[in-house]
Amino acid sequence: MPAFTIALKDLRLLLRDPRSAVILLLMPLVLILVLGLSLGDAFGRKPDDQLQISVVVEDIGLPETLVIRPPVKEKPAGAVLGSMSFAAPMQRKHPPTKRWVDVLLDDLKDTGNIKIEVIPSRAEAEQLVKRGKRSAVIVFEPEFSDRVDRCSFVGSEFRPNPINPLDRYGVVTQEVGVTVLDNPYQPIGGSVVKQVTQVSLMRVIVPWMIGQAFDLIGTPLFMKKMEGYIPGFSFLPTEMRASIGLGIRKGIGGFFGNYDFTALTWYGLTKDIPPDVKAANAAAYTPPPTGLGRGAKKYQILVPSYTVTFAFFLVLTVGWLFVAERRHGTMVRLRAAPITRGQILLGKLLPCFAVSAIQGFTLLLFGKLIFGMSFGAEPWLIIPVVLSTSFAAVGLAMFVAGLARTETQVAVYGTLLVLVLAGLSGSMMPRELMPEWMRSFSYVTPHAWALDAYEQLLHPESPAIDFATVGTSCGVLCGFGLGFSLLAWWWMNLE
Amino acid sequence: MIGGMAAPVLDLIDIRKSYGRTEALAGVSLTVQPGELFGLLGPNGAGKTTLLAILAGLSEPTAGAVKLFGDAFDPRARAARKLIGLATQDLAIYPELSARENLRFFGELYGLGRADLRSRIDEMLGAVSLKDRADQLAGTFSGGMKRRLNLAVALVHRPRLLLLDEPTTGVDPQSRNHIFERVQALNAEGLTVIYTSHYMEEVQALCPRIGILDHGRVIACDSRESLLNRLDTALTLTMAEPTSAWLASARQLPGARSVEWSHGNLQVASPEAAALLPKLLAHGAAPSAIDVKAPTLESVFLSLTGRALRD
Repeated sequence: MPAFTIALKDLRLLLRDPRSAVILLLMPLVLILVLGLSLGDAFGRKPDDQLQISVVVEDIGLPETLVIRPPVKEKPAGAVLGSMSFAAPMQRKHPPTKRWVDVLLDDLKDTGNIKIEVIPSRAEAEQLVKRGKRSAVIVFEPEFSDRVDRCSFVGSEFRPNPINPLDRYGVVTQEVGVTVLDNPYQPIGGSVVKQVTQVSLMRVIVPWMIGQAFDLIGTPLFMKKMEGYIPGFSFLPTEMRASIGLGIRKGIGGFFGNYDFTALTWYGLTKDIPPDVKAANAAAYTPPPTGLGRGAKKYQILVPSYTVTFAFFLVLTVGWLFVAERRHGTMVRLRAAPITRGQILLGKLLPCFAVSAIQGFTLLLFGKLIFGMSFGAEPWLIIPVVLSTSFAAVGLAMFVAGLARTETQVAVYGTLLVLVLAGLSGSMMPRELMPEWMRSFSYVTPHAWALDAYEQLLHPESPAIDFATVGTSCGVLCGFGLGFSLLAWWWMNLE
Repeated sequence: MIGGMAAPVLDLIDIRKSYGRTEALAGVSLTVQPGELFGLLGPNGAGKTTLLAILAGLSEPTAGAVKLFGDAFDPRARAARKLIGLATQDLAIYPELSARENLRFFGELYGLGRADLRSRIDEMLGAVSLKDRADQLAGTFSGGMKRRLNLAVALVHRPRLLLLDEPTTGVDPQSRNHIFERVQALNAEGLTVIYTSHYMEEVQALCPRIGILDHGRVIACDSRESLLNRLDTALTLTMAEPTSAWLASARQLPGARSVEWSHGNLQVASPEAAALLPKLLAHGAAPSAIDVKAPTLESVFLSLTGRALRD
């Protein structure tokens, strides 16, 4: 087969040409490496990926000895209020079964689109904030549970060492043992973290404080206090006072029928459905990358982008191959040989396709081995994407080779074309940064279709691969390849 | 079907080739017989390379007919192309491949079998004295070695007609002699060769039959001797000035076309100078020096066109 003879010869020439290796393999790797080192870890993350609350948990919880029993000294028999027996000791619904910090973290996890990242130590958190890796980190100090537990609307005559954590802005974080480490150069991110934390603190602490206060209504201590406000109240018999107390509690409960003041939780207070704590919102903490930052999300974008961009740099290699054939005079000998024009072109196309495919697979493999890039859930689907991209690149390369007559023309026109296409397609910068019309326009380039397919395949967090998108992309890429090849066939002048 | 050996190898009938308004070939008719070493001589731009391109199937004539081994030449016919070997004016080898790889590649393109190709490559490497450099890249070769490899590539598939276009351009004398010897040896083995050059010395030395091309036309086509015999040999005798009577009698000698006294020398023109010289001496000429200038293709071209070959 003359076409295979030519293909093998060209493959040998390509392998012996160091320029090809430099352009097709070394340059993209160097670019990915340089950009990978230059770009921050935020590159490649979508905006909602960054709504992450980083916390340090030092909270030691409540010692068993601190478990507070209701301050009930008398035990009125048979007094019943709703489902709660006034005589029975009130059972806590939170500590000590859970640390208060866990209650708060569950509340945060339940908040939509917020991820909780637990950093192992305060020292590490301080470093992360200092280096700008996190805009703010919330530290729950060792006494957090103790302090939250002591939060109360009432004074020390009702419970020991009460804390009033509220002020006009919300919860005074220092009062409950919360410290916010923030980076002064990232004020917006820090504010978002603080506000989200405030809301959760309010949702946890306020029901707790309301519940405790409501529990006091009708207790002997409470009724004793009422003596100072209701004239003659002290002369009422004990049982009556107890009944009045229970009546007041019942009355208040009925008056505010939409709320359960005894609930101690926000959902209970608002009589809502208990939340289903979203464990998925807990993000595993990964230490900040050092060196290459293997596995960083940026490589999920950089590696396929530059693999696609440099696939089209094949234009230079193929162009030079044709120019060299003319310069060495061997094109004349090929045309004089007993072979057809189609065999010559096929003989040129095959090795270029092989080189392009090898380049694509090699760069992606390097992406995995060197940069820790993920191949996603269906790695085998990368094969048709690489092959169809190669076909499109080879078609374009053959077309350009048919136009260019000298090495300079190949270098100038080829490089210009490749860079313009890469710029239009979004393979040099994330398409999220492009205006909407430009994003739509990018689909005039084969690059954009290839990137669409890679975006589906290489995202490790992608919930499901859209096979239709991948298939469409491969089909369009093959269409580009066929179209360019036909143009090359029509245009190519071997003389 | 390709004709038998009895038919002319090549028969060109009124070949014309135009590029726009420029007429590169203006009606070329030639016949080359089997086993001939035919020289195609002409100045640069005469149309030699255009004619060879048509013969090699690289270009089609605007008008006229080409017959190869008696049959109309169809450049698309693989069998016809296999009969032709082409060594172009510009080198046509891959510098990034070794000599052996170049030969193997072109041999495979022409459909040689693996075993046959192996032996043929060795044979060709030996024939052009490149056996010891067989596995070195052609790009490292000297100009002469590249020319020899270029010739070997044209021959690797055993063509029956070899087209050589200025095969000695840019080579050293040693390689030139090597190429001459090789071409003569191939011709002696029965290969038909068309040798084009603007170096008339080469064509004159190598080719028994010569066509002279100028402005796209064959202005002469004959055997080397016949072409040269069209002009007289010039004899210059340095001697004492003869009398008018002696000059008149010398002009009557058989074979003397002209006898003149000019610039202190006796200038004699004769188609048979070798026979005339003893007669002049016998007639009383006593030269102190004799200069003989035989006709060359250069002078033939000058006489035919009125200008020098290299103008």
